[in-house]
Amino acid sequence: MKAVILAAGEGKRLRPYTETLPKVMLPIVNKPILEYVLDAVSKSGIDEIIVVVGYKKEVILEYFKDYKKAKITYVEQDKQLGTAHALLQAKKQLKDSFIVLAGDNIIDQESISKLINDESKYNILIKKHPHPSKYGVVFLEKNKLKEIVEKPKEEMGNFISTGIYKLPKTVFKIIDDLASQGVYALSTIIQSLVDQNQEINTIIAKSWMDIVYPWDLIKVNEKMIHEYSSSISGTIEKGVTIKGDVFVGKDTTIYSGCYIVGPVVIGQGCEIGPNTCIFPSTTIGDNSVINPFSLIQNSIIMNEVHIGSHSRFINSIIGRGTIIEEHFSSITGTPTVEIEGEFKKLKNMGVMIGDDCNIKSHVVIDSGKIIGRNCKIDSMKKIIDNIPSNSKVM
Amino acid sequence: MKCVILAAGEGKRMHPLTFTRPKVMLPIANKPILEWNLLNAIKAGIKEYIFVVAYRSEMVRNYFQDGKNWNIKIEYINQGEALGTAHAIGMVEKFADDFIVLCGDTIFGKDDIKNISNKKPSVGLFKIENANEYGIVETKEGNVIKICEKMDNPFSNVINAGIYHFDKKIFDYIKKTKKSPRGEYEITDSINMMAKEKNISGIFLNNWRDVVYPWHLLDANKEIFNKINKKVNGTVEKNATLVGDVTIGKNTVVKNGSYIEGPVLIGEDCKIGPNCYIRPYTSIGNGCHIGNACEVKNSIIFNNSNVPHQNYVGDSIIGENCNLGSGCKIANLRLDKKEIAVILNGKKINTKRKKLGAIIGDNVQTGINSVINTGSIIGNNVFIGPGATVKKQIEPNSIIF
Amino acid sequence: MCGIIGYNGFRNADNVLIEGLKRLEYRGYDSAGIGVIGKNLKVFKEVGEISKLEKDIPKLDGTIGIGHTRWATHGGVNKENAHPHLSGNKKIAIIHNGIIENFKKLRENLEKQGVKFQSQTDTEVIAHLIEKSYTGNIQDAVVSALKKIQGSYALLVISSDEPDKIIGARKESPLVIGVGDNENFLASDIPALLKYTNRVVYLDDGEICVLEKNNIKIFNDKNREIKKEENLIKWDFKDAEKSGFSHFMLKEIYDQPDTVHKVFLGRVSEIERTIKFPDKVENLIENINSISIVACGTSYYSGLVGKYFIEKYTDLPVNVELSSEYRYFGSKNKDSLVVCISQSGETADTLAALKEAKNSGCKTLVITNAIGSTATRVADAYILTQSGPEIGVAATKTFTSQILVLFLLSLKLALIDNMIGADRLYDYILHLKELSRKVRQVLERNQEIIDVAKKLVDSNSIFFIGRGINFPISLEGALKLKEISYLHAEGFAAGELKHGPFALLTKNTPVVAIITNDSTYDKMIANIGEVKARGPQVIAIADENDNEIEKHADFVLRFPNNSSALSCIPISVILQLLAYHVANLKGCSIDKPRNLAKSVTVE
Repeated sequence: MKAVILAAGEGKRLRPYTETLPKVMLPIVNKPILEYVLDAVSKSGIDEIIVVVGYKKEVILEYFKDYKKAKITYVEQDKQLGTAHALLQAKKQLKDSFIVLAGDNIIDQESISKLINDESKYNILIKKHPHPSKYGVVFLEKNKLKEIVEKPKEEMGNFISTGIYKLPKTVFKIIDDLASQGVYALSTIIQSLVDQNQEINTIIAKSWMDIVYPWDLIKVNEKMIHEYSSSISGTIEKGVTIKGDVFVGKDTTIYSGCYIVGPVVIGQGCEIGPNTCIFPSTTIGDNSVINPFSLIQNSIIMNEVHIGSHSRFINSIIGRGTIIEEHFSSITGTPTVEIEGEFKKLKNMGVMIGDDCNIKSHVVIDSGKIIGRNCKIDSMKKIIDNIPSNSKVM
Repeated sequence: MKCVILAAGEGKRMHPLTFTRPKVMLPIANKPILEWNLLNAIKAGIKEYIFVVAYRSEMVRNYFQDGKNWNIKIEYINQGEALGTAHAIGMVEKFADDFIVLCGDTIFGKDDIKNISNKKPSVGLFKIENANEYGIVETKEGNVIKICEKMDNPFSNVINAGIYHFDKKIFDYIKKTKKSPRGEYEITDSINMMAKEKNISGIFLNNWRDVVYPWHLLDANKEIFNKINKKVNGTVEKNATLVGDVTIGKNTVVKNGSYIEGPVLIGEDCKIGPNCYIRPYTSIGNGCHIGNACEVKNSIIFNNSNVPHQNYVGDSIIGENCNLGSGCKIANLRLDKKEIAVILNGKKINTKRKKLGAIIGDNVQTGINSVINTGSIIGNNVFIGPGATVKKQIEPNSIIF
Repeated sequence: MCGIIGYNGFRNADNVLIEGLKRLEYRGYDSAGIGVIGKNLKVFKEVGEISKLEKDIPKLDGTIGIGHTRWATHGGVNKENAHPHLSGNKKIAIIHNGIIENFKKLRENLEKQGVKFQSQTDTEVIAHLIEKSYTGNIQDAVVSALKKIQGSYALLVISSDEPDKIIGARKESPLVIGVGDNENFLASDIPALLKYTNRVVYLDDGEICVLEKNNIKIFNDKNREIKKEENLIKWDFKDAEKSGFSHFMLKEIYDQPDTVHKVFLGRVSEIERTIKFPDKVENLIENINSISIVACGTSYYSGLVGKYFIEKYTDLPVNVELSSEYRYFGSKNKDSLVVCISQSGETADTLAALKEAKNSGCKTLVITNAIGSTATRVADAYILTQSGPEIGVAATKTFTSQILVLFLLSLKLALIDNMIGADRLYDYILHLKELSRKVRQVLERNQEIIDVAKKLVDSNSIFFIGRGINFPISLEGALKLKEISYLHAEGFAAGELKHGPFALLTKNTPVVAIITNDSTYDKMIANIGEVKARGPQVIAIADENDNEIEKHADFVLRFPNNSSALSCIPISVILQLLAYHVANLKGCSIDKPRNLAKSVTVE
């Protein structure tokens, strides 16, 4: 059986990080989300995977060019019209039943195996969710799918669709039909199957994580960091305290006086310290430098980041190549952010900074703020609003 | 009839000991595992051998060469890629048409090898307690019906021992074998195909030991001591004490005050003592130095390593060219006396041993008074600074201060 | 370069050869072929990628064979010109990497003797020469044929009359022997045989190898059998692929944010404020009183930039010399450090210079991108640029990496001589760490560069000018443009224009002027004025904070603000992209420019 992974999307809601990367390539514990999906699929026994690419496809092709766990064929979706349209691009590669899943949701291998091994013609993975109305809510009848309601206005139901299906090749007839009518969403295709009295079996997924907004990256990072192996490479100077599960990559140096409490993952070629504290569940990428007397907790620091001394990051994200000079503070609080016309309270949020920013010393940024990529912020500025990419705050 | 020995595997679960040597070259009682098999096969009367090598093949080839030293003929074939046991055995098609196959990293006894040689085609079987780690064999009237995969509740405790006798018909089945779910061509699949069409005898072995993780070497080392002839070459000074079975290699000097309680094996060109205490089931390689005030117990020390001053090494394995600084000690028992778990290749594994010191790779240097905790795994070329404390897994080429 | 491979053993030769060719594919390809001896000698070759050959080829039985992937130098790309080439009687098959300089004369002579040629290649003459010399011993026939040849070769020959051996011969093109168990290999480089063996024997120029299944014999240029040392290979190799870019060169330009960082890996510590090279290198550079940098082509230009750095930060006098001229003029002072720069480590001219320097007692250091190359084995020490394989013939990422290695070297020399302290070093380290970002910022302004490229496409001649460190950068900018777009381009020191080249300036000769915010700024503005007064359009490569330049230049391409000498890196990237886009707009063959080879292994 083959798998189709949809990886063409931009992920606009994850800006500024998706201005340089397709959504599936955003890093969780230093691995792109897509790699988790590919690994789960190949581990469940599938050895041929078709990946539908589009937005910034070179990043995906370059990263996975040596991927050995399965054979990957790439097909291109030149216009992002919808999930069914994306799946349509893979039609020629498929002969029999197949599974289709999004490349930007982390799913466990066991659930995929269950999906593959189930004998029903149509299958969907569903998940219990506390706030299902943000997604496609599914209603069941005797474990078979009765209805999918996309983003209902009121709170209803318990289960949501993960968007992961096992479908027969014949489904393309319906997809083609509806596509000609301008319908491109896979969930609509599934609904029409239900309406035609097709039996769609539901399987409850064990663990499924969606990433929609930048702060979701932190939550998922926290969950996935526990699966990371703990081992120490590089140089650990005297007087360094390492507690719990900590991974230190090769050619990294941890200087004296650092206090690292796991789970923490530090990539290759980094320099940490001296006298810097790294608390759970922080992920630091490759070639980053964290200067002395800084504190980093539950944050994602990407590659080539420079953090000046006496800086503090809690529940924050710093994009690749960003340089932050000393005495940086982000205010950790419970900000209210506006998302798609609604107001949402984020608990304990720090700051999210994009790639290639240059932030001078003694800058303070309010909680929950998003700084775009390639921004320049002068010394001693206090930032209380989001800053769009390519801006200067003087 | 030839003997094919599969010696191509890296043995990833034996890291860090297998970073620089293939699994078959790991030493037990100062001889590589492969050599024990070879000696038993020679005693069983076999004179022609084919070694299938790949990973670090030069270590096998340089040690065994053409077999002249054992009065036998050895040929080598490079497997190229690690594609599984069927792929490895398939390599010998142009070189043998009646042959037994031994997995080079499992130790087989000479009588068992002889029994297998006398029946073809045949598969070696063994009865074992914890059968859920291995493939179970279904037999009927002395013939092998099917070799099954690992299962949680095995229906019998008869396992596939990893020794076979084939003729050239096996190659047809090997050619038809497809890749298994883990991506390899397995000889067990080829055998299952053949079993449907031919009778394959199942022969029970008397002796069988395999090693999967580094601490298993300690068990294998212990077991093999009854096969060694005690012999004292070298020089033992007047006031050194040897108790029980102690074997000392030539040019080794044992100085006064040394107290060696056998069974212990010490290689050639070693400097032992003065005033050291070496306790049972310890194997020390060639060119080693066990110095003053040191205690070594139930451990394997590879060639050219030094435990030179005021050290304690218990239930441990130390690779080649290592040097322990004065006062460096390895803990081998938890304070709460619970079973010891290690982190190997990033995964946590319960060794089920209450006593386990450290597994140390090659070229590791430890500073004075450094401390190595129970169950530590230290990779090659690691520097451990003076007074430093080591625990869990340290990757190769790291520096810990 | 071409890739060649030979196999003699027990496995099916066709599989081994095709796999080996796939690993040699990074050397580029336009056609490929293999020849196998089973019951008889069979050859299959075609135009296209190795994967196409793999799909189309019928089963060729046999356990001895040779394979070739072609990078055309003589003769067009077609099936007839692909290797292996056969002798007239179809009993001898050969493959060849290199250039036969006197092939025209040889071909004429052979044609006069009635030989019918199937291709336009220089290689084919060798096959016919061997046939003519054959009297029962293929080794002797090869030796005799080679005596008539002038040029370079890595040559493999098989003969259906002696189906148990491959004859290999090396002269100035790389050839290594892989020692196996019951099998042996010959190949252009090590990655092709690493799967089956890690033991190699390096052939030297003039040597011949007779490769049997279980036996290897090597003969020196006097036809005497010699014994050579076996080497154990410990390293890995990863293939390169275009991954979504339309040309290797474009991919390699886009690699630079990463490769720039890779030069620092393991060498620069920000927290410790140090630069460290391997012990061999540090011991070598400790007590020197002068430096000679020797290189060819683009490496020569990075050498000129290196001179600028070393003389700026230290007191050491630096000579930069062309490798081909070194034997005539090169300084051979024993206290001198000779630094050879060669991306491939196999450039014939540079190797010759390196050997001369070594023989004269100089200390020798090599800066190269190829681990295990001949240069790294000859020199006292080497520094790798760590950029990954570069396939596009025009050097891009290796140029910027070479400059950065030279920069680190100059800082290290300055530290040794106490010419700079840890504080200034820290400053430079921070600037180095910003380079990735600056290169990314340049790459994002790709569209602006395309717009300027459109203006250059129809020009006759383009001039590049710069002062100080920007002078060698302008030379490289011109070289890049020349190499791949075939437009005439020339670089000048801005101050030199008035001493002659002004005569060439017209409306149709745009001038690209590199202008940085430093002590050269004012004079460059003046130079730009002088140029404009004579007609040409001026394209300025200027700092993003430069507000004055618009008044003087017709078009401006910006690089991110940087007042240090390291601005040469983003500027180089702009010039690379400019050359790329001009060539692309003109429809030129970018990864394989006409008449050019990647590593010139011919003197």
